[in-house]
Amino acid sequence: MSDAAEVVRRLRGWIEERTGLSALVDFGREKTVPVHRHSVWYYMGGMSLFLFGIQVATGILLLLYYRPSAGEAFESVQFLMAKVPFGWLIRSIHSWSANLLVFVLCVHMFSAYFLKAYRKPRELTWLTGMALLLLALAFGFSGYLLPWNTLAFFATQVGTEVAGSLPLIGRFMLRLLRGGDQVTGGTLTRFYGMHVAVLPAMTTALLAAHLLLVQKHGMSVPPGVEAERRRTGEPPRSLPFLPNFLLHDAIGWCAALGALAGLAALFPWELGEKADLFAPAPAGIRPEWYFCWAFQTLKMLPGHVLGVEGELLAILGFGAGGLLWLLVPFIDRTPERGDRRTRVFTVVGWMVLAYLAVMTALVYIPVRS
Amino acid sequence: MRLWPLVPVLIALAGPVAPGAEPTSKRPAAPQSSCIDCHLQLDGEALEAAKRIGEDIHFQHGLSCHDCHGGNPIAGADGDIAAAHDEKKGWTGKPKRVEIPVFCARCHADAAFMKGFNPQMRVDQLSEYRTSVHGKQNAVGDPRVAVCVDCHGVHGIRTAKDPRSPVHPTRVAETCGRCHNNVDLMRGYGIPSNQYAGYKTSVHAQALYDKGDTSAPTCNDCHGSHGAAPPGMQSVVQVCGSCHGREATLFREIEKKKGLDLTPCIQCMVCHDNHAVQAPTDEMLGVGPKSTCTSCHGPGSTAYRAAEEMASALDRLKGRVVEATGLLSRAERAGIEVSADQFALRNARDQVVEARVLAHSFDRERFLAVTAEGLAVSEEGASAGRRAFRELGQRRLGLAVSLVVIFAVIVGLVLKVRRLEGRAPE
Amino acid sequence: MCTAVFYPVVRYIVPPSVPEAPTSRTVAARDGELKPNEAKIFQFGNRAGILVRMPDGEYRALSASCTHLNCTVQYRGDLRQVWCACHNGLYDLQGHNVAGPPPRPLDQYQVHVANGEIVVSKV
Repeated sequence: MSDAAEVVRRLRGWIEERTGLSALVDFGREKTVPVHRHSVWYYMGGMSLFLFGIQVATGILLLLYYRPSAGEAFESVQFLMAKVPFGWLIRSIHSWSANLLVFVLCVHMFSAYFLKAYRKPRELTWLTGMALLLLALAFGFSGYLLPWNTLAFFATQVGTEVAGSLPLIGRFMLRLLRGGDQVTGGTLTRFYGMHVAVLPAMTTALLAAHLLLVQKHGMSVPPGVEAERRRTGEPPRSLPFLPNFLLHDAIGWCAALGALAGLAALFPWELGEKADLFAPAPAGIRPEWYFCWAFQTLKMLPGHVLGVEGELLAILGFGAGGLLWLLVPFIDRTPERGDRRTRVFTVVGWMVLAYLAVMTALVYIPVRS
Repeated sequence: MRLWPLVPVLIALAGPVAPGAEPTSKRPAAPQSSCIDCHLQLDGEALEAAKRIGEDIHFQHGLSCHDCHGGNPIAGADGDIAAAHDEKKGWTGKPKRVEIPVFCARCHADAAFMKGFNPQMRVDQLSEYRTSVHGKQNAVGDPRVAVCVDCHGVHGIRTAKDPRSPVHPTRVAETCGRCHNNVDLMRGYGIPSNQYAGYKTSVHAQALYDKGDTSAPTCNDCHGSHGAAPPGMQSVVQVCGSCHGREATLFREIEKKKGLDLTPCIQCMVCHDNHAVQAPTDEMLGVGPKSTCTSCHGPGSTAYRAAEEMASALDRLKGRVVEATGLLSRAERAGIEVSADQFALRNARDQVVEARVLAHSFDRERFLAVTAEGLAVSEEGASAGRRAFRELGQRRLGLAVSLVVIFAVIVGLVLKVRRLEGRAPE
Repeated sequence: MCTAVFYPVVRYIVPPSVPEAPTSRTVAARDGELKPNEAKIFQFGNRAGILVRMPDGEYRALSASCTHLNCTVQYRGDLRQVWCACHNGLYDLQGHNVAGPPPRPLDQYQVHVANGEIVVSKV
């Protein structure tokens, strides 16, 4: 054995004695990923993780120059964009990647739903995943305010107003979110704390749980594919995780990086005007696109429906719908019983997707009535 | 039983808290005066005097009825009017209207006397008054013109610094208007009566009444307080120039430079009016519908052409400044560093202000030199803005380079995957 | 590709020539740049400031935007006052408007001399 190989062997042994990492490496070597006509959706999880990593990295870089006070936030972002080398790049990537992340998370969630990846024993994976989606939306909402520009200020005002209309806890939630009765510098500091400390801590914990569960149970094979295999008797095909699947992932990640660089350079994120607490709201205020479906629903509902306030009804509706969606692993027992009534859930899923898509589109496309 | 003797005691006790008594730094003991005690029992004008005297500045300085009207302030305590109104004690009673200026001047024109009360106070009011139209008419016995009490009040006279005084800057115009708005009264003297109405629409009135700026002019600032008279045609520019210094200097320079006498044009008034002075606009310069140049200078004249040139140069400059400012703020919002260029653009805005002032020089060359400088600066600002957008474009170049690199990596990965999966099919 | 990623990140982390947005603090001049009874206009964020070195050697910093119509003011060594050429406004070295149309005083800034630099900061 050559000297270099001997040194490497001794080093590996030293580490193994102290950490027992070889178990992990063996696990990685043995891990496989099923291959079938729907296996392209398996990449969505990894893509989300990659984009989240981008967010953490660019976020930490932004932390080096950002100042979370009403008097300095806007100026610090302006400084960052104009005077710091590549500051414009880091900021635009952070903003674009945030949107891309939410989009990919939605794709990941819907693909898991339609492919019924939530079936036993993966219920907890689904629950932690939904919690992570909520955390991502919270990241988006809190981060949006941080540049302290007009658009963000009013979007936050509208958003916290909606939170305030919840029954019973609404007033408390509004004051908790805003750090007071109005959106002020106090709100900014609070959102900053959420965005850089509280939410990352919660996300780390939930993400660790989610990933561990995924490793434990492996990738779920959709019931349709399973049934087909049973019928044709074909042996299940699979791909080794290391290095094949990971290389495929890497291709996707590089493409995503290229897309982000392109978006940052061709469609840089605008800074706008500094927020003026006393100015009236400009026309056409709306939240970020991933909240637009809720915004549009609230706009379209009449003031009162059967004696109940329209807004309240909508919020309760969202809450009920969200709860049902969350608990779908416990509601949908049909795959165990046979695959005929599975259709119901698939149809419901398409209806929900259509509803979200249409509501989001309506905000951007003015309807000529 | 007569309670008369108790009244002065009561008044003396009540003196410090009498309604209307103002806190002053000089607070002498309430002067012994039976005049007030008696007059409070009367009615009509006699009562008014006694009621209001507590607010009077003279009273607060320790003077009382007898100091102006004479008579015996103590003797009347038992109701003896004859003793109080004793001519041997100098009682003059109510002076005739036309005699009032001399009546007040007995003290107010006496420098030695006034020095004991307010060394800074002027003592030439009567001599100034004599130069005014009011004073001249008063000298020939006209009872209708204003005398001291018409403006300053009587028996409840406050200083001009007191906002309740009729001669406080915020109330002078209304005080003058009491007579000067009376069409019939003014017609008798051949004076128009629309000055107050005009003044109320002016920027001066706006500054004084709406913004509370007491440095803004009212009637007496241009016409004089006691020597009230219109400034006279040749003095208009001097009077306006006492505040609007630079414009007046430029105006006088052109008179000297071109050997012109602009008196018939009534100087400032021809463009700006005398009472209804409106905020000036850029449309006043040039040959447009709101222009003041064309009210005298017809088409084809040198002045007409010059006005046209100056107005269009100013418009061009303003447009360029707006353009450059817009370009630079768009670049700033897009994330390019342009703060130094925005700073330099300030100079162009300064030139716009300078040009507007130089309109009063009526000097085409000087005006165009300033606008040319402003145009040069805004051109620089605009090209800095364009440079900033080119930099944005350069970022796209950097992007293209990085995309090439990323693409190369992707191709490499794909090839590696092909090799791997070609070698080991599942 | 690692270089393509790390190059911008490294350039980003290395501090730029100005360490922070100059909205509340800036270096107006170097010590000795101005002689006594001289002044210079400097950029303070997106506003203009005027740094005056008084005859006794002390420094004063004021806003250079005239409070009348925002023209840039200048220092008159002969008057020992700050003058606005647009309409002849005058301010004393405390910034108080003493003559002419300006309705309000000029904002005063704090001046510190440190490490050979004249640092101006908002009060």
